[in-house]
Amino acid sequence: MSDQALRTPFSERAGAALRDTSLQQALTLATTKFIGLRKEAFATYPQGERARDQARAIKEATLQRLDHYLNMLADNVERLGGHVHWATTGEEACETILRICRECRVKTVVKSKSMATEEIELNEALEHAGVTPIETDLGEYIIQLAREKPSHIIAPAIHKTRGQVADLFSRVLKGQFPADPEVLTAVARKELRQKFLQADMGITGANFAVADTGTIVLVTNEGNGRMVTSLPRIHVAVMGIDKVIPSMTDLMFFLGILARSATGQKISVYTTLVRGPRQPGELEGPDEFHLILMDNGRARQIASELREALYCLRCGACLNVCPVYRQIGGHAYGYTYPGPIGILLTAMLKGDRAVKDLAHASSLCGACQEVCPVRIDIPRMLIELRQRLDRERIAPLAERVLFKTFAQVLTTPALFRLAATLGRLAQRPFVRGGRLQNLPLVFARWTKGRDLPPVAARTFSERWRELR
Amino acid sequence: MATRAEFLGRIRAEVRRAPGLFPATPAPRPERPAEAAQAVRRQMTDRWPGALERFQEEFALVSGVFHRVGTMEDVPSVIRDIARQKDARGVTSWDPGQLGIDLRPSLEAEGLSLVAAPVHGDNDARARYREAAAAAQIGVTGADFALAETGTLILMSGPGRPRTTSLLPETHVAIFGKSRLLETLEQVGVILEALHAEPESARRGAVVNFITGPSRTADIELTLTRGVHGPKEVHAIFVDSL
Ligand code: SF4
Repeated sequence: MSDQALRTPFSERAGAALRDTSLQQALTLATTKFIGLRKEAFATYPQGERARDQARAIKEATLQRLDHYLNMLADNVERLGGHVHWATTGEEACETILRICRECRVKTVVKSKSMATEEIELNEALEHAGVTPIETDLGEYIIQLAREKPSHIIAPAIHKTRGQVADLFSRVLKGQFPADPEVLTAVARKELRQKFLQADMGITGANFAVADTGTIVLVTNEGNGRMVTSLPRIHVAVMGIDKVIPSMTDLMFFLGILARSATGQKISVYTTLVRGPRQPGELEGPDEFHLILMDNGRARQIASELREALYCLRCGACLNVCPVYRQIGGHAYGYTYPGPIGILLTAMLKGDRAVKDLAHASSLCGACQEVCPVRIDIPRMLIELRQRLDRERIAPLAERVLFKTFAQVLTTPALFRLAATLGRLAQRPFVRGGRLQNLPLVFARWTKGRDLPPVAARTFSERWRELR
Repeated sequence: MATRAEFLGRIRAEVRRAPGLFPATPAPRPERPAEAAQAVRRQMTDRWPGALERFQEEFALVSGVFHRVGTMEDVPSVIRDIARQKDARGVTSWDPGQLGIDLRPSLEAEGLSLVAAPVHGDNDARARYREAAAAAQIGVTGADFALAETGTLILMSGPGRPRTTSLLPETHVAIFGKSRLLETLEQVGVILEALHAEPESARRGAVVNFITGPSRTADIELTLTRGVHGPKEVHAIFVDSL
């Protein structure tokens, strides 16, 4: 998202989303549908629970020897004739790609959907350097034409209606197109087919990378991942270091749960395993293959509270069940990765300061952990993130003092009794309809967006004493 | 830019600092992949014909069209029928040696044109083949494996087996026999482990594609639409005599 948009505070971005009725409708429809499809998919997959445990263990085991597996992956890619680049930051990753573009005189690039390249704002960097990037996933294509950002990890354009897409295509592609998904998809097919055949470079992310064989794994439904890796003369894959897994045996566990979690399919339409550039004797495939291994803030989380977020497969299941995401959608979060996992990934990639407000955009209900294919304990990490914000003095002073005092009161019985008595007296003017509303002073911000239950007429310990 | 040593050094330092969340190991791999692959093949002979029935069911669920014929000689007529239905004139295929049949005589007799992929080729041959594959309405390939659990066709690229034969035409037709059937992803894992354990000289192309039905998207209002970039239709021809 542009800096412009980020200058508006989170509460205002969220408020705007809540007032957008067509967004609200789209969100409810999409997330409800995804939840149902996922549920059904796992209900008919008895080995699913074991596969989830296994997948979780594989991710943890890989992190415990991450340097080893990355080294093995790089050796194998190079053995197959590929080039490996080590990018500590997102800027370095962009620079590397721009350098390859310059050296190989690349004018146009076709891209298949990749959160990693969204994360480093690669399209902006390419455009700036005079290279034309073309997104080829239909959803990404739509939002690229609209000059917007994805609002969902796996359904980037869910915030757009068919009418809006028809208007957009008619305007940008100069035609008169009806609001019919079938027709609009055919229009995109024709438009993008030419681009695939003409582009100099294909850029992909990687859903997985198998260290033992040097294989990059791309999962798509549309087939654009296949186009992008088969037709242009150069293929560049950009992946976070968290995407490596040890072996083909491991890969199968992930393939069994990834699509089921994301869209409820048993497996996505295309799973493409790519090893290096065109191999000897092959007619097709790129002359050059480049793998960019990107850290961009990940490594320093290996030993931090956020370690588990490095297991994430980017399936989007936690977004669909999140009561906050379901209300405000992806854009309001303001960064590449939305939803509950997005808060943690943003902290990881952009630093804790970026999530000062976002860290609280969760009710800690635990729904995300329940659906996560690798059972990431997102609620625990959100709490730890909030504590970290407090320790680092990033949270506002009033909030820090308030919570410190609150903790003191809760853990000192005498203080607690005193506070209960005082609270009962002090709250009187503000209780309306059995709820605390419009508190004054430092408490005002708390009750601006939410009501609180009032302090009870008698505390539990008072009643307990009576009952005994 | 960091060098590999610097980059990995930093990661190693972080890894050493972290105790890990719980004791964990990757999934156990077959110790002798070639033997394990043989064992999978033996398992599959016991699963006949259940595995084929399962493939058929799952393939239909992902909108695949299934055909079954007795011998390779019966294949061209199936392709002719599909062509007639689609009003198609141009067909492209893998190299006849890789496909196990030369389709040219029978298709040309019907007025269909066929471009078979060359086994080897230079830049010009690549450009020529790409043009032909992009113009063809039907692409005919083999299938290295057919995965029953999900209705998936698995194709490996290599000499005479271009990637785009199954990608650019609007209709993809894949031919396979009984020995190609697998039932679970786990078995696919064993087979892939065995393939990668073979000496490099046995290496084929750079790509393995799992194809599960026609290309699809639901990116506009979650409305399911077929054939966004890849084929709009996928046919599987099962040949009994293979
Ligand atoms: S945290 Fe889990 S559920 Fe959320 S996107 Fe990542 S893998 Fe999927």
